[in-house]
Amino acid sequence: MSVFYDLTVSHFLVLAAALFAIGIAGVLLRRNALIVMMSIELMLNAANITVLAFSRGFAGNHEAAYQGQAFALVVIAIAAAEAAVGLAIVVTIFRTRRHTDIDRLTMLKD
Amino acid sequence: MSNLPIGKTRMSTSRMSKVLMWLGASALALFVVLGLDPSTAYAAADHAASQAAEGTANTFHNSKGAAFVFWAFAFASIGGSIFVITRSNMVTAVMGMVGTFFAIAGLYLMFYASFLAVMQVLVYAGAIMVLFVFVIMILNRPEEEPWAVQGILGKGIAALGVLYLFKRLAGILWQVKDTHPLIVDKAALNVEVVLNHADPALASGAAEAITRTYEFGTVQGVGYTLFSKYLFPFEAVSIVLLVAVVGAIAIARPREDEDEADEAATKEAS
Repeated sequence: MSVFYDLTVSHFLVLAAALFAIGIAGVLLRRNALIVMMSIELMLNAANITVLAFSRGFAGNHEAAYQGQAFALVVIAIAAAEAAVGLAIVVTIFRTRRHTDIDRLTMLKD
Repeated sequence: MSNLPIGKTRMSTSRMSKVLMWLGASALALFVVLGLDPSTAYAAADHAASQAAEGTANTFHNSKGAAFVFWAFAFASIGGSIFVITRSNMVTAVMGMVGTFFAIAGLYLMFYASFLAVMQVLVYAGAIMVLFVFVIMILNRPEEEPWAVQGILGKGIAALGVLYLFKRLAGILWQVKDTHPLIVDKAALNVEVVLNHADPALASGAAEAITRTYEFGTVQGVGYTLFSKYLFPFEAVSIVLLVAVVGAIAIARPREDEDEADEAATKEAS
């Protein structure tokens, strides 16, 4: 079974796709706002793996191998900013509503 | 009200999460012991294999050890992420997330991106997850039923949709083949930088341009790219971070009228 020990870029890409799908499932199926935010972080990480796999796998000796790493660093910084703002919103919602259940947060819908 | 008794399942799940976290951390520590670089451990085998067979140039590492490490990290990351979306105890979910991040840092090391792997552990497993734990400690409210029965039809459709998405996505990504022969030798990926006279990094008074070699994936290599060609995105990210810090403080800051509502809600809840 050479598919198990001949590693190609596709292995990493499919792994990233699986992580991304699990993140989407967490966003769609869970009701807790914190779990939803963690699933979003998971999806950002899956995107990072994809960027690095493509830049490493296709760049060869080219400069693009570094561009992927610079881009991944930017994504990590954006994820940190998103976590800070999102958690502040969760704390504020909890302070006024006493829960963080996103199925019950229908204030804008009603 | 804020101290709800947590169910008996807490012990077993947190122990599982600890096992998972230590699995990821020990796999990462294995890499650190091997010299922060998978290529040093497998370079000899890789070189021999790639010289022996010309047709295997499109494989990542031509050794079974690297494949074993990849599968270990893959199972750790997938298991940890499934752990995150299935547990009702949120601290357990965070521990699964930390294990996932350690495993993803190990995957970064397989790309020779050692600086990014360190950043992954520092920023994600260190900073962001600690922030999550802080907020969980503030809220301190375990979920009664993580998977709601109401709207089960819509959620079933959503789960099927996610499965279909993964099938299509994996089907497309599995077709991806390497167009360039992959360079297993890490030294071939080093960047050559020619410093000219206007460069302040050049020692003053040098008559000729100097060529410097920055190792791939290190702070030097990534930093040179980030501070030369991608200086504007770097500065833009710093502004985004500043706005996020100010915004987080502005959103989460307690106000006078909210304090009264807060006290009223606490009284009502208790």
